Amino acid sequence: MAEKMIECVGLTKRFGNFTAVDHVNFSVERGAIFGFLGPNGSGKSTVIRMLCGILQPTEGTARIGGRDVVEETDELKDSIGYMSQKFSLYDELTVDENLIFYGKLYGLRRGALRKRYDELVALTHLEPYLKRRAALLSGGWRQRLAMACALMHEPRVLFLDEPTAGIDPVARRELWDLLFEFSGRGMTLFVTTHYMDEAERCTNVGYIYLSKLIVCGVPDELKLMPEVNPPGTRRLDVTCEHVTAGLQALRHRKGIETATIFGQSMHLLVENTVAETEIRGYLAEVGIRDADIRPISPSLEDVFVALTAKHGGGTGEEGGAK
Amino acid sequence: MRMFRGLGAMLYKEFISVMRDPMTLFFMLFPPIIEMIAFGYALDNDVKHMGMIVYDQARTVESRELVDRFVNTETFRVVGYVSSTAEMASEIRKGHAYVGIQIPPDFSRNLRAGRSAQVQLAIDGSNSTTALQALNTGLAVTLSDSVFRLLRESGRASIPIDMRPQMLYNPAMKSPNFFIPGVIGIVLQISTTFATAMAVVRERERGTLEQLLVSPLSRWGLMLGKLVPYLCLGLAMATFLVGTMRFLFHVPIAGSLTALIFSTVVYLFVLLSVGLLISTRAQNQMQALQMTMTLILPSVFFSGFIFPRETMPWIFYAVGSVLPTTYFINLIRAIILRGAVFSEFWPSLAVLVAMAFGLFSLCALRFKSKIE
Repeated sequence: MAEKMIECVGLTKRFGNFTAVDHVNFSVERGAIFGFLGPNGSGKSTVIRMLCGILQPTEGTARIGGRDVVEETDELKDSIGYMSQKFSLYDELTVDENLIFYGKLYGLRRGALRKRYDELVALTHLEPYLKRRAALLSGGWRQRLAMACALMHEPRVLFLDEPTAGIDPVARRELWDLLFEFSGRGMTLFVTTHYMDEAERCTNVGYIYLSKLIVCGVPDELKLMPEVNPPGTRRLDVTCEHVTAGLQALRHRKGIETATIFGQSMHLLVENTVAETEIRGYLAEVGIRDADIRPISPSLEDVFVALTAKHGGGTGEEGGAK
Repeated sequence: MRMFRGLGAMLYKEFISVMRDPMTLFFMLFPPIIEMIAFGYALDNDVKHMGMIVYDQARTVESRELVDRFVNTETFRVVGYVSSTAEMASEIRKGHAYVGIQIPPDFSRNLRAGRSAQVQLAIDGSNSTTALQALNTGLAVTLSDSVFRLLRESGRASIPIDMRPQMLYNPAMKSPNFFIPGVIGIVLQISTTFATAMAVVRERERGTLEQLLVSPLSRWGLMLGKLVPYLCLGLAMATFLVGTMRFLFHVPIAGSLTALIFSTVVYLFVLLSVGLLISTRAQNQMQALQMTMTLILPSVFFSGFIFPRETMPWIFYAVGSVLPTTYFINLIRAIILRGAVFSEFWPSLAVLVAMAFGLFSLCALRFKSKIE
């Protein structure tokens, strides 16, 4: 069993009458990429802030590398890195000044600072922008710079709060490539995100909903949960033209539990008693003839939708990809 | 140096930030000079060449001599002649003249006959300062004239009591000399307090404060890192202001320059700490601005800058005693105008030093290393 880098037991934060984080328990192993998901305002950032030692938990404990985040905050600071939602950079400083500042802030000596600086510049491909003010960088480059700044002191755990919000797909892909590289070097990553495709890449995921952590585990194992795969049912992918019309035709039919659009196709959760020909029959009623139907395993999104519904949710923006 | 961990990094960043922020630099350096020049000229209480309207009914050698004596004091200048009391009053009401002198037709006759010759001096009392000066000058002119006439008649060689005034410090009695050192105190306060009040608040608003809190930066390192660059800027500003005072307003510095510099450093440290104290409380720049203004206003009135504190009601006197500006103005006037030495000015300096340590420690201790 690998070493536990992050461990929360009954972690709770209340702001007055409002409970932002409600008795959250989870642990993250060294070198893991932990994807922390949940709708806006569900408590993701609050958990990160408590783990980083800048917010006092109301109840419960959290340890990073065996050190208590409340009692040993000062000792912990050198081993954690934090990249906040807003990519907090100093706009009036140039890219290289931002890097030097963060290096100095963590007490890096001249030689070590230079070495780390060169390493990170090479890794993030920031060379062409070194003399540019941070204010003039585009979103993707700001994010790279923010990450490089958070990594100057070689933290053992890096917290990233929605690192890909508002970033173009290419930059998003490149950021994840970097994350995998760090993870391979033994760094533990804690990432919050709204994107399901990002969640699929994590080694572990947790889903927080209405301040409670409702599920936590390895993505492939979660997909096998009985709540996600009710006995006597199967999941199907239906690819056809006019999916919106098809959806209307299939909804509320006996034996079809759920039907949702996934781009050019629909995902169905149907009872085993419903035959493929029956589905084709419903589609023919709205003039859809050449549907391609095949069985699929549940996605993480299916997992979260199923679990959210079980926890009394089901409306609003939760559970879905942006 | 665990206590000041991260200070070097903060200084590195803050100096760059300050230098790259032309707006802050402009507002720190430019308005103080303008304020100083404006205060310096506007607060000139020396009234010269007040408008005087003459209603001379006598039209004799003596009456013209009397008017000349008034003019020779340089306090008055003749702005016109009228031929009725109503006209004279109207000129004063219109604001063309501050005073009106009326010399009756029998002036010279009475004078020559050894009777009391009467002269009427009408003064616009709406501005008490100018009115008082007009009154005093008028009295002095007529009294000395009377005394000399009496001496001539009695045959005495000299007047009974001969007072010889000796004006120590500021011998020319120029009011800019008195006001301008005070202006330096006031003007320094406005821009420096404001600069640090904004400094931490800006980080809070930008979200960078959160990033700093996660780092091993100590609160003393953060506070001193924010303070030192503005202290340097404040000193540059002070140098410029003292230069303006010395070479534009020709106010001589009677005391030691070292004492002046040291006092200014301590004063700036106090002001910047007050700004930091504000920024540890204020959630946004608007709040910081309001808090700063609330603190600055009383110092204009209660520090002894314009009105002497000794004559204030006790409550205002008490308010003045807690303001750093009060002590700095005492100090700077003592050093610049009276050439005071350390053994004479140390009490004010001691209060400022105590304030500097107290306030700076307070803001480091009150600063929360957690967010709420």
